[in-house]
Amino acid sequence: MQLLEKQLKKIGALFQPGRPLNKFYPLFEAMDTFAFTPGKTAAKAPHVRDAVDIKRVMILVVVALMPCIFMGIYNAGYQIELAKGMAHSFWGCVASGAIKVVPIVIVAYAAGGFWEVLFAVIRKHEINEGFLVTGILYALTLPPSIPLWQVAVGISFGVVIGKEIFGGTGFNILNPALTARAFVFFAYPAQMSGDNVWIAVDGFTRATPLSVVAAADKGGSAIMALQDAGYTFKEMFLGFIPGSIGETSTLACLLGLAFLLITRVASWRIVAGCALGLTGMSAFLTLFQGPDALAFFSLPPHWHMIMGGFAFGSIFMATDPVSSSATNIGRWIYGIMIGLLIVLIRMVNPAYPEGTMLAILFMNVFAPLIDHFVVEGKIKKRLARRNAPKAG
Amino acid sequence: MNVIHVRQGRDIKLAGPARQEIHDTGIPDRVAIQPPDFPGLRLRLLVREDDQVKVGTPLFEDKTNPKIKIVSPASGRVSAINRGEKRALLEVVVEADGSQQALARQRYSADEVSRLSREDLVEALLEGGFWPCIRQRPFSNVAHPSDVPKSIFVQAINTEPLALDVDVVLRDRQEEFQFGLDVLRKLTKGDVHVCFSSQAQAKALTEAKNVKTHGVEGPHPAGNVSTLVHFIDPINKGDIVWYLRAEDVLRIAPLLLEGTFSPEKYAAVTGEGAQNRVYKKTIIGAPILYLLEKQNLAGYRCISGSVLAGKNVGANGFLCFYDSQVTVIPEGGKREFLGWLSLGFNKYSFSRTFLSSVTGQKEISLDADRHGDHRAIVLNHIYDDYVPLDIPVYFLLRAVIAGDIEEAEKLGILECDEEDFALCTFACPSKTDVGGIIRNGLQLIEREG
Repeated sequence: MQLLEKQLKKIGALFQPGRPLNKFYPLFEAMDTFAFTPGKTAAKAPHVRDAVDIKRVMILVVVALMPCIFMGIYNAGYQIELAKGMAHSFWGCVASGAIKVVPIVIVAYAAGGFWEVLFAVIRKHEINEGFLVTGILYALTLPPSIPLWQVAVGISFGVVIGKEIFGGTGFNILNPALTARAFVFFAYPAQMSGDNVWIAVDGFTRATPLSVVAAADKGGSAIMALQDAGYTFKEMFLGFIPGSIGETSTLACLLGLAFLLITRVASWRIVAGCALGLTGMSAFLTLFQGPDALAFFSLPPHWHMIMGGFAFGSIFMATDPVSSSATNIGRWIYGIMIGLLIVLIRMVNPAYPEGTMLAILFMNVFAPLIDHFVVEGKIKKRLARRNAPKAG
Repeated sequence: MNVIHVRQGRDIKLAGPARQEIHDTGIPDRVAIQPPDFPGLRLRLLVREDDQVKVGTPLFEDKTNPKIKIVSPASGRVSAINRGEKRALLEVVVEADGSQQALARQRYSADEVSRLSREDLVEALLEGGFWPCIRQRPFSNVAHPSDVPKSIFVQAINTEPLALDVDVVLRDRQEEFQFGLDVLRKLTKGDVHVCFSSQAQAKALTEAKNVKTHGVEGPHPAGNVSTLVHFIDPINKGDIVWYLRAEDVLRIAPLLLEGTFSPEKYAAVTGEGAQNRVYKKTIIGAPILYLLEKQNLAGYRCISGSVLAGKNVGANGFLCFYDSQVTVIPEGGKREFLGWLSLGFNKYSFSRTFLSSVTGQKEISLDADRHGDHRAIVLNHIYDDYVPLDIPVYFLLRAVIAGDIEEAEKLGILECDEEDFALCTFACPSKTDVGGIIRNGLQLIEREG
């Protein structure tokens, strides 16, 4: 280890001010601190510091995504083998899933990382570890059949337009991973939506649960329609259904959620708000079910939760601290509104069967406004204290 | 007694507390007064090298208000005047002769003191060198004698890690303390608030008369001036409150009744790097090495004050004017292979990102390692957990960074001081200097307002 430390020091000398590679110092810093903790001490008070840093936080988010990553790979393979009518073995599914998913992840990281490093070098700031999360989050929201060049184009848009032009990490208004996905979604709808992109087998079509329900006859039962299409609650909860790579398994998302809440990396208020908003709105809309209503109106809230990207989006996307509300009251409002909007887009808007991505992006835009009113409220309270008669 | 419960904040149970026994260590061979200890004063030097001084001889006066004087805590010879960049005064060192001969001031009987007018009292406290002990909010500067504060806070609680418990010092000092409080009573139109831990035992505190007493409960920064002011008598734009430490109240009686400046100072010697950890009775400006009994300090950081708000003065430095604690911690700075992967049984963190949060740690040994490099602020929700002032910290930071003074004032920056955000800086995973940003904001407002 000491040898490695010495070598790094030697290489590092080339990146110091006045040396030829100084421009690329952020790149060296990223490598150097990947291998060893920086070992810098506090210059002034406070003289002691918490052991946690952003690297640690971001790595933990990636750890929380592990169940989703694994399920994503397995299910992508499972769907392929199912479609081809092959006898599926565990390792067979993992292998054929990995062939599809791993390249997507690699391309997302490579293209995203390229822009991250480029901007760090040009703008002379550190490489923020957030891209470790953005890259994998984005990959997990894509269908397994997506062409790799579209993966690269999407993440480039997400990182550059979604984040860097606002000033980089910490200043972005929209979630970069979702911005990237939204770009691909609107730019290449043929590869991102419809019924034949979710299973990476050419020419094979199977509707996702959401489009099954959306297409069901008016006045019919949504649950019956799902069961006719071969979807059971258990299958959907566990994630053996077609869909974007990481979103299908609610169970895997919940495992990630448990980890995020135990480590207190994600805000429980946002996740609870999303669940509350979705439950409240879908329960309310079931009151309107009847012969003339869309089949969707007969779907109870707990079915909504295991469909589409709700679990993945509300746990991993909505909780991005930078693009969400930064006040506690704001987090509740933000979460509830996301849940509510997801149901509205799913059920009332005929154009899109799924609303998670759009709902979160929409509320990303509104988060600063919500915060503004919450903070104004605090300011008013402070002013009122001044005018109030002194207590005691 | 009114009891204040503070919810936000956190105590760091650092290794190396001092035993609560007072050891009288007498007079050190030299002491120093350090001008940077007095923010807000522009000091003019009144002595030259080799001048003979007594206890109470003015060493500096304020250029703006020459009545504010800072006096020598020891009798002896001015042995060094040390300057820094742009010839800024850093310290005046007095070589003590040990006799502690004091400059005699006017003496009053207790009766006369009670009849003195406010102006005469202020005059006597200024002349005697007591004045710099009184500071004011907003801005935490030495109080302006011409102001009349809306209340005065006596801080008899210190919740900083390993801080001196002034309750121990005040036992058997009831009479002197009460005398000081009665004098302070006359300086304000409002109340004098004496704030102490709800577990305090000293009668000087629990039975203090003619003042309002407040028992404080809760984790650090419950004992910070900002917290006390916020909960008891909050300030808004235009308001001024004064505050001083309970130890300093004890200086008033000797000054008025005996006519001599009392330089006595209590300091807790703390931190895992210090060997003989006790409370020491000495005088203002004592050298760190003297307090630490000349032990070997290589590889250690010597802090005047606490790990959260103190100043790294080095082994050859001196105790700062307002501090009552020396903390010695290992310097640290070793690099750790793949540190971000560590399970972290031995890592201390407010967050739950290491296994130590499950297994717990008996004694928290911390060195000065920063545990990471600076990054953009991402986790913006953590700060509010450590600030009990009902301030949206993240938004205040944004306002200050953007230079929006008006917004910062509305959010309550005038209630704060840098030290109130030490726990935020501690906990920030992006290693943001939260307190430093607040200080910049306050300085900007002070300059422009």
